[in-house]
Amino acid sequence: MYLQLGLVVMSLLPALNEKNLPWIDVIHPIIVHFVIAMTLIAVVFDVIGIITKRSNLFEVSFLNLIVATIAIFIAIIFGQIEAGLANPYGSSRDILNYHSTIGWSLAAILSIITGWRYVSRQNNPNNLSIGFLSVDIMLAFLVCIQVYLGDKLVWIYGLHTVPVVNAIRDGII
Amino acid sequence: MLFNNILAKYYYFLSDISSPISEIKSSLGPNDLPYNIPIHPNLVHLTIGLFAIAIAFDFAGALYPFEKRILRFLAFPVTRVGFHDVGWYNILAASFITFFTVATGFFEMLLAVPIGGVKSIIGQGAISTMLWHGVGGVLILFILITMTIWRGYQRFVFRKNFGRQVSWAYLFSGTIILLIMGLHGSLGAWLASDFGVHITADQLLVKGNDLTSIL
Repeated sequence: MYLQLGLVVMSLLPALNEKNLPWIDVIHPIIVHFVIAMTLIAVVFDVIGIITKRSNLFEVSFLNLIVATIAIFIAIIFGQIEAGLANPYGSSRDILNYHSTIGWSLAAILSIITGWRYVSRQNNPNNLSIGFLSVDIMLAFLVCIQVYLGDKLVWIYGLHTVPVVNAIRDGII
Repeated sequence: MLFNNILAKYYYFLSDISSPISEIKSSLGPNDLPYNIPIHPNLVHLTIGLFAIAIAFDFAGALYPFEKRILRFLAFPVTRVGFHDVGWYNILAASFITFFTVATGFFEMLLAVPIGGVKSIIGQGAISTMLWHGVGGVLILFILITMTIWRGYQRFVFRKNFGRQVSWAYLFSGTIILLIMGLHGSLGAWLASDFGVHITADQLLVKGNDLTSIL
């Protein structure tokens, strides 16, 4: 009976394509455009804003951080679905674990930093503390590590690429 | 007969040309690059992210009169000028970084060894996907620069004293370009996911290696 119930549930799920996905292409790497670009450019604009004393750049960084904070949660939702369908093999299993752990942590860290930025902006929108900037730079560094791990999953291990999915289905890996 | 001879000679030449990659083959890894991770796909995050959010914030600035009440209801203190500042600075950053995106893209395309006999979801082979993606990339760089100059003129000259810093034509163009970028990006994504360009695992698999012992 449970087997039959399982089959019914399975039949309701969309079929998986040649990349082992229920949709055409991976969506997670598209959503992370907005996390990566916005967090990194926020640091760049903060630094330029401090050097050239243009406080309107601080507002640009702040709004970019808000976008990054919203985007990271969407990125995690798609990341979890696609990680669940990725069938990692060999040492890519460890990398996927690190990538997931840092990803969830980044969501919390990014939310806290954006909240902190909101409060400091309420106090004085034309000033940015060096303390915030250093934490901001550390955030950018952490994002770069996370990108490197995600890059490894795609460009070294080829998760969700046709040849690797075929090899997994054929039982070669 | 003569025609056939010429044709045969022509094919002979074509098959005889060795790829220029073979000259530096010894310094390339299994992914056909001198380094592990391709650079172009990482810079693409910046190009697309910055451009898309620039257009989005210009929309937010243009539609500000409608949002005002919602923003007040949420007690979220932002200004129209702030939205348009994001629109301007982000597209400026996008067009700066895109020069590097295109440059690394061409470097890595010169070294690309796509898997043979594969067709993408729209029925294109590897070389036509690469040509469209390469030429399209230069066109998008050109369009991006043009949009940035247009955006700058609107900000500092044409619409200097206007609340809405961009024209509807600019926003419409931005939307169309984003759609084209989406398609263009998909071509690039297929070069990786279907043709296995610069993916270590795919390249090793095609050459008949056992991944479990290597990776």
